[in-house]
Amino acid sequence: MKDNTKILTIITWIILLSSISVLLNDIREFDFNQFTEFQNWAKTANKNESWLTSKNAIKWSYYAISAGLFFWRGYLIYGFSYFLSILKEIENRNYFSDKIIKGFKKIGYIFIWYTISVLILRFLLAGINGSTFNFFNELKAEFTFLIPAGLGFYILAEIFKRAKETKEENDLTI
Amino acid sequence: MPIIVNLDIILAKRKIKSKDLAETIGITTANLSILKSGKAKAVRFSTLEAICKALDCQPADILEYVED
Repeated sequence: MKDNTKILTIITWIILLSSISVLLNDIREFDFNQFTEFQNWAKTANKNESWLTSKNAIKWSYYAISAGLFFWRGYLIYGFSYFLSILKEIENRNYFSDKIIKGFKKIGYIFIWYTISVLILRFLLAGINGSTFNFFNELKAEFTFLIPAGLGFYILAEIFKRAKETKEENDLTI
Repeated sequence: MPIIVNLDIILAKRKIKSKDLAETIGITTANLSILKSGKAKAVRFSTLEAICKALDCQPADILEYVED
């Protein structure tokens, strides 16, 4: 059991570190200079021109949403890091600790919010690009499987909560 | 909790120490302390039987119902 936990911890660390490095590389490749360009444009822009329809504003929105996608990817990685604290509790044989319940709940919450937020950002991106957004096609994308996974973790948290109560009751039965 | 455990009173009447009772009925002193303090959520029939046998009393002598 202890060896399995160690293997799982190592796998989780590998996934976490590779996800972080991929995210950092993507951020490095992303052209953040666009924001400076936008700031320069904002200073010299014609105030009578409608802000929303101007080309630069649309361009800026596109980059802001892309940056938002980076944020949510980081948030997903943060959620994944909760597996480490869960595995540590299992290694210490604290199977029904509050940390495990909180960890499962947090992972479920992050998975669901990540999917919803990315769907919204993709919708906005499609709007800015002028391309069509098919909600049902988006639902077929791999990342949407995080919603049932998130719900699964919520259910696990609830099961562990009940199990903790039962264990406490059992411990206090003389 | 409306169930009061009067184990302390019986032990004092019989002049038996908690440690000795725990040894006789085969539970730990920590568990006996939980039972005496009223923190216990449930009592097994086997434990109750052992206590009654060791203290020569009835379950009603140990447990009492008091309305909140």
